Amino acid sequence: MKLTRRKLATVLVSATAVAAQQPAPTPAPAPDDNLKAARDRLQANARALATTTIPMDTEPAFQFKA
Amino acid sequence: MASIGIDTFFAPLPQLNASLKAREFSAEDLARAFSERLRQLGPRYNALALPLLQEALRQAKEVDKDLKRQRFRGPLQGIPYGVKDLLALAGQPTTWGAKPYAGQVFDYTATVIQKLSDVGAVLAGKLSMVELAGGGGYRFPSASLTGPGLNPWDRTRWAGGSSSGSAAAVAAGLLPFAIGSETSGSIVTPASFCGVTALRPTYGLVSRHGAMALSWTLDKLGPFARSAEDCGLILHEIAGKDSKDPGSAGKSFYYTPQYARSMKDLRVGYAPADFAEWVEPATRPTFEAAIGVLKASGMQLVETKLPEFPYAAVLSTILAGEMGSIFEPLIASGKVEELADKPQIAGLKASLELPAKDYLKAMRLRRLIQEEAGKLFGSVDVLLAPGRAGIAPKIDQPIDRSRGGAPPKDPGFRSIIPMGNLAGLPALVLPCGFAGNMPVALQVVGVPFSENTLLAIGREFQSRTDWHKRRPPGA
Repeated sequence: MKLTRRKLATVLVSATAVAAQQPAPTPAPAPDDNLKAARDRLQANARALATTTIPMDTEPAFQFKA
Repeated sequence: MASIGIDTFFAPLPQLNASLKAREFSAEDLARAFSERLRQLGPRYNALALPLLQEALRQAKEVDKDLKRQRFRGPLQGIPYGVKDLLALAGQPTTWGAKPYAGQVFDYTATVIQKLSDVGAVLAGKLSMVELAGGGGYRFPSASLTGPGLNPWDRTRWAGGSSSGSAAAVAAGLLPFAIGSETSGSIVTPASFCGVTALRPTYGLVSRHGAMALSWTLDKLGPFARSAEDCGLILHEIAGKDSKDPGSAGKSFYYTPQYARSMKDLRVGYAPADFAEWVEPATRPTFEAAIGVLKASGMQLVETKLPEFPYAAVLSTILAGEMGSIFEPLIASGKVEELADKPQIAGLKASLELPAKDYLKAMRLRRLIQEEAGKLFGSVDVLLAPGRAGIAPKIDQPIDRSRGGAPPKDPGFRSIIPMGNLAGLPALVLPCGFAGNMPVALQVVGVPFSENTLLAIGREFQSRTDWHKRRPPGA
């Protein structure tokens, strides 16, 4: 396709106009501080659990009876 | 209607029951008096979730018919009481203290309510609580559908959680007793802050059928009352096997004060650092005096250490795993955002991300904790610790406020609440004095199914003190 200078100018102006209509990109939402804190607590707990060695034959107390 | 004076609102259960049998007043008179008091004063402490006046009067009339025919059903017959609003009552709202469940109605009744009804106790109202029993990790006392639980001793302070209304209502003489629940601290904390006697039973001793589940392997129901004696009488009626509760231990409880061990035979394990270093300075003289009372009764106090484990991390991980599964529909629907406390919302959301390996590791550690707890009780009969390290916080303070300064090196029994709950151990809370105008309490923890021993210690302590009889100002 042959592109004349007039057509090229029309395309460029239109593209600029469309771009101008787009909302400015918003910054990524700030991470929820409470959610981050909750996730951090889970990870801190996991690190605390790792400080104790558990013998292989220790089964979960899933059938819990006092 | 017979005249019911202020002393009646603070009377122990045997006295109320004797007055009913002696026809000093009828069960209907008593139900009306307590229900009116609960309706009028309950909101003053944000303690009332649902008044049940008409239902109470209907029950009380049936009790009066029984009493007239000398059909006696035990010491709770005709006694009004309340339940934490996480127990189902057929046809009535059960909110779990949370906005997303404000319109929730079940078509069945919790076993514990049914058992109390069978012996003639009269349900006068449902009591407020921290939303969803606080499992998500709430930060402020305002985390409740009914607002922050206000302490009858000082309404600018918190009643404690999550059984806020149960503790406040008994402390203020709005009810003779109430039922609350504990997953980790929800009976011990409000009882300590409000100055009432309360019992966390052994895991599995009291059916949880009809109760909101927060953690299947940790949840327990127990009484708040005026004395250890009253707690024993209540536990006698609500304990027992229930096929509707998969966690039921299949055991009954018979309150047998006549067979109590001699106090001189009891070895009480304690950590001096708890009372000398961990508690708030203003409470130390009170705790010292309380320990003096126990020693005077002949008990042998023995310095003891808890086995070293990351108790809080183990408990939090198990709670997150079970809570996440239980409340996944709430979280997935987005209605979790309707809860009052932002950290609680975040805690619930994050719980869905807990790796299975962490939950299983925590449950394996829990088995080791149970084994070590068993060994610990080879050298002592019970453990003694402060109910809480300080008095109730102000209602606008975060509940996890720092104690300030460097923590003591000796951990003492700092982890006794998570340790006791992980191992399913019973605990009795005993008011033991005041710091300023606020109550302070001890907790006594025993081996599984040792409730009679704990109650014997409680009776002994309360025979030598009158802290459990004190009344809040204006109540």
